[in-house]
Amino acid sequence: MNSGSLTGGRSWPSRTSLTSSGKRIQKEMAELNTDPPADCSAGPKGDNLYHWVATLFGPQGTPYDGGIYFLDITFPANYPFKPPKVVFKTRIYHCNVDSTGNVSLDILEENSWSPALTISKVLLALRSIFTNPNPYKPQVPGIAHLYLVDKSKHDSLAAEWTQRFAK
Amino acid sequence: MVYDSIANASIPTAASNSKDFGKKKRVNRTAKLKQSKLDVRREQWLSQVKNRGFKEETKATRVTKMAAPETHAATEREHSIVKLEISVGGEENESLMNNYSDSESPSNSPTSHTSSVSESNISVTNFTGSSSRSSCGSSSSSGDCCSGSMTDEEDDEDDGCLDDWEAIADALAAADDIQKSPVDEHPLTPPEPEQPVLTPAGSTNFRAWRPDDVSRPQSLPNLVKQNSFPMKSGSSAFPSSCPICCEDLDMTDSSFLPCPCGYRLCLFCHKRILEDNGRCPGCRKQYESHGNAASSKLGRCHSMNPSCH
Repeated sequence: MNSGSLTGGRSWPSRTSLTSSGKRIQKEMAELNTDPPADCSAGPKGDNLYHWVATLFGPQGTPYDGGIYFLDITFPANYPFKPPKVVFKTRIYHCNVDSTGNVSLDILEENSWSPALTISKVLLALRSIFTNPNPYKPQVPGIAHLYLVDKSKHDSLAAEWTQRFAK
Repeated sequence: MVYDSIANASIPTAASNSKDFGKKKRVNRTAKLKQSKLDVRREQWLSQVKNRGFKEETKATRVTKMAAPETHAATEREHSIVKLEISVGGEENESLMNNYSDSESPSNSPTSHTSSVSESNISVTNFTGSSSRSSCGSSSSSGDCCSGSMTDEEDDEDDGCLDDWEAIADALAAADDIQKSPVDEHPLTPPEPEQPVLTPAGSTNFRAWRPDDVSRPQSLPNLVKQNSFPMKSGSSAFPSSCPICCEDLDMTDSSFLPCPCGYRLCLFCHKRILEDNGRCPGCRKQYESHGNAASSKLGRCHSMNPSCH
């Protein structure tokens, strides 16, 4: 896989300052193609290797079931030493995602990020907050509060948003 | 008779070691490869050779002279052979042969995609084509084919041909002393192992692709990775490339274990992380080596001062 898909897809012109991150991102792209994580996909949006779009499917058993969520992933030039930036483009009723799509996910913060993490692991972590929202580190405190106080109401609201925005 | 001259030329070097046996085999296979082309166009050639008896002589010797001083690269040797055979046929056949090598090479080697029609590419395609042939063809039958094809030509051209072949054979023998035969070293992987031979041959016009060549086609296999593969499988516990930057780990990197958690990375990424937050990507703990090195240096300074007094 390494030599074939990687070198085969080397259409991106390498510049010395960006080579290491570019190579790393290309490798991640190849790995996502060969072994994609369940219920999600990711890849470059266009010609720019540093700007990806990802899709997540709302997991069954959650109020997000049936929803399709689009995300923008932006790699910094010094990736993987710095975390990628992930933004939800689809609206979601979730205590860790605000109305502009910003996500509060610990591994995406600079102090918790590790260069050993990959986009595949980031997608898995994003999937996990569908099933297990973290109300103690909320992006939207109101939703977190409702999640803790009245989970059934929270779930019905979230399911309604899924129907409205993510179908 | 012509076949004898080839055999004689090979004897001085071929008698002793198996290395030269491979060389001879390759020459035979080249001839076999060419023979298939010769058969197709022999009718044309016969008529043309009659007309160009004089031209053939001069041109062939010129090629031979050109080939003689070259002491490197089987590529060029084979190229000279090709040229010789072409020049026997005449100029039209030269372009015709170029077409052949372009059109048939896709089945033989990945390098064929590279070929814009330039002389260097012709040599490359012919070379890999014949070498991949050598992986599948049987050596015994190739010898027969070779002699068969040569005797065919023998009817058409007489002594001039012999001289040419002797001169070529001299050039081959001279090159044999210097150049190792890659076929014997890696008998199982046909096209790739030829590259170390191709790479140093970069002086003349018939230059092979260097690994760092800007215009080197991407379809060519990456020799570094191919060679590192068996080594990797031998020590499967260690990653072959840095998980951070995806560059291959060299010997120093492979023996570099910066963190007790066992997470390996290359020295460049390690240095970069030390300049940043200094935490191991695997366990997120601070690299001990960083702190220890600084503190031990400090400690040594402190300990030296009291000892002076």
